[in-house]
Amino acid sequence: MKLIGPSLLQLVCLVILPITVLAADVTVDSTTFLGIARRDVSGGSKESFLPATQFVGLTADKLADGNLSLHLYGWGRTDLGDNSYNNNATSGSLNYGYLQYRFDQANAIIRGGRFSVREGIVNEQIDGVSARTDLPMGIGISGFLGATVHSTNLKGENSDGKGDMVYGGRINYRHTGLLEAGLSGIYQSAAPTLVTQATKEYRRVGADIWLTPKKSIDIIGHSSFNPETARFTEHSYLINVKQSQRLVLTGEINQYREKGDQYTWSPLPNDISKMAIRSTQTGLSAAFEVDKNLEVAADYKHYTREFGSADRFGGEVRVKYKENSIRGGFGYHYLNAGQGFSVGVNPPASYHELRCYTMRDSKSYFVAIDILGDFFKNNIYGKSSAWEGTTSLGYHFTPALALSGDLSYGRNPQFTEETKALLRLTYNMSYPGIGVKK
Amino acid sequence: MTFSKPLFAILAAAGIISIAASCAQMKAIPGLPASHPEALAVGQQVNCAECHEDQQKGTMKAFNAFNHTRSFVKSHRYYAASDDRLCATCHKSSFCTDCHSNKVEMKPSTRFGDRPDREMQHRGNFMTMHKIEGKLDPASCYRCHGRANNERCVACHK
Repeated sequence: MKLIGPSLLQLVCLVILPITVLAADVTVDSTTFLGIARRDVSGGSKESFLPATQFVGLTADKLADGNLSLHLYGWGRTDLGDNSYNNNATSGSLNYGYLQYRFDQANAIIRGGRFSVREGIVNEQIDGVSARTDLPMGIGISGFLGATVHSTNLKGENSDGKGDMVYGGRINYRHTGLLEAGLSGIYQSAAPTLVTQATKEYRRVGADIWLTPKKSIDIIGHSSFNPETARFTEHSYLINVKQSQRLVLTGEINQYREKGDQYTWSPLPNDISKMAIRSTQTGLSAAFEVDKNLEVAADYKHYTREFGSADRFGGEVRVKYKENSIRGGFGYHYLNAGQGFSVGVNPPASYHELRCYTMRDSKSYFVAIDILGDFFKNNIYGKSSAWEGTTSLGYHFTPALALSGDLSYGRNPQFTEETKALLRLTYNMSYPGIGVKK
Repeated sequence: MTFSKPLFAILAAAGIISIAASCAQMKAIPGLPASHPEALAVGQQVNCAECHEDQQKGTMKAFNAFNHTRSFVKSHRYYAASDDRLCATCHKSSFCTDCHSNKVEMKPSTRFGDRPDREMQHRGNFMTMHKIEGKLDPASCYRCHGRANNERCVACHK
């Protein structure tokens, strides 16, 4: 994945022009950002940044016989001042770029190019091909094969730790209105040998289920298994109980083992041993739609790690007004963290979190205010809180073209003060059809 | 362990045989429409059950399972993993990559600072808070970033 910003831009431009002429339905999404940021870092230094970032997306539908489509999306960044991100003055990435042929029946799809695969337990970006279809008797099947999308080399290594080829798929069975059960797997070719870290092969098989014993109850989840170590890596299950269309009760359990195997590098080098031990989160939540304009929710989650446990609980209120043109929300959560959950040498990081926002979107202007504050029970690096406020103001020149600016200010233990400004030019060109996708 | 290769080969062979045996009957199997027939407003909390009463032929699941409630939004990964075709009738792939990306520099919350209702990730002082949240749920990074060695992570986590 060595594609950089300028190359990406040239590629997109080369493709956009001919496709725009040939395709029946073309949408182009473009967002240009000019950021200005100033930080006062704890310890005395000051930093200023001026990055310009461009996101470009294109979807061309109804190509050839009408079932072929092209999908492109990527971004590029260049710094007009000091380097804003690591040590690179420019950067970019092609998030996806693929041709898709969609058959009229059986939800059958063939893709080729760069895309993400999310099938059962699989969550992978590849450069390759995939196909999926429903089959008679409620059976569905999908498969993918391609090259691994590599990322930054690991520190001190000549690779990112991933094998070069990846393939896998999913087979599932559906019984109308009652059940879906699937088996999925992913196999990556042998990982390159690492010098400073343990080499990890990435192979998984897993099962997923969606059970609806009653119309008001959904049980959905998956388990994955690492055949290399012969151990389960994840169990994640959710139950939704819909007492009515307005009240949803949810219970969830997530248990992860071998977290280190989900990454090709060890995120916490001093805690490698901990990464191999399981963690569990169990949660309960309730969401109630009082009416079309008001929703309240409450949630609780219990975290268990090998070095302690923590609890988080809180609630949210969300309101809408004037046909959704005015929206707002308020939330409060408290994390009661045990001894093991601390930042560095600081005491356990229990904290209160408050968040509120409001926004107004009219045909001409739009404005938003967002405030988030974290208030620590015990100081972190001598600070009792971390907070940030952001205000955004924009104007729609046309339904497709808008210019907006954000200004945010915050104080926190990491950076004593952080002031950021952002200019955003958004252009969303779409064909005048119905059901245009968001 | 050496049994993973044969296991994957068996699964692949079973898939190819199933497809070959079923191709002749596929024309009778219904599919989802390419896109939703009506435009849905930005910021609207979609309630599929307002218009659809029964299960969708293309998914064989009840429409009300896809109502965009708070619970659905927070646990959408489960639904996307088995039915992203239904997601695709209303959403472009870029809607997913707003958060789920192999390589990204700009925080979603910064990029969509004009849309606080979307509750994009990494709001506020994430530099400090991720040291707490990462310990609570290390797998939460994986859910969005996949197995990427996100450059910003690697800058510190070497």
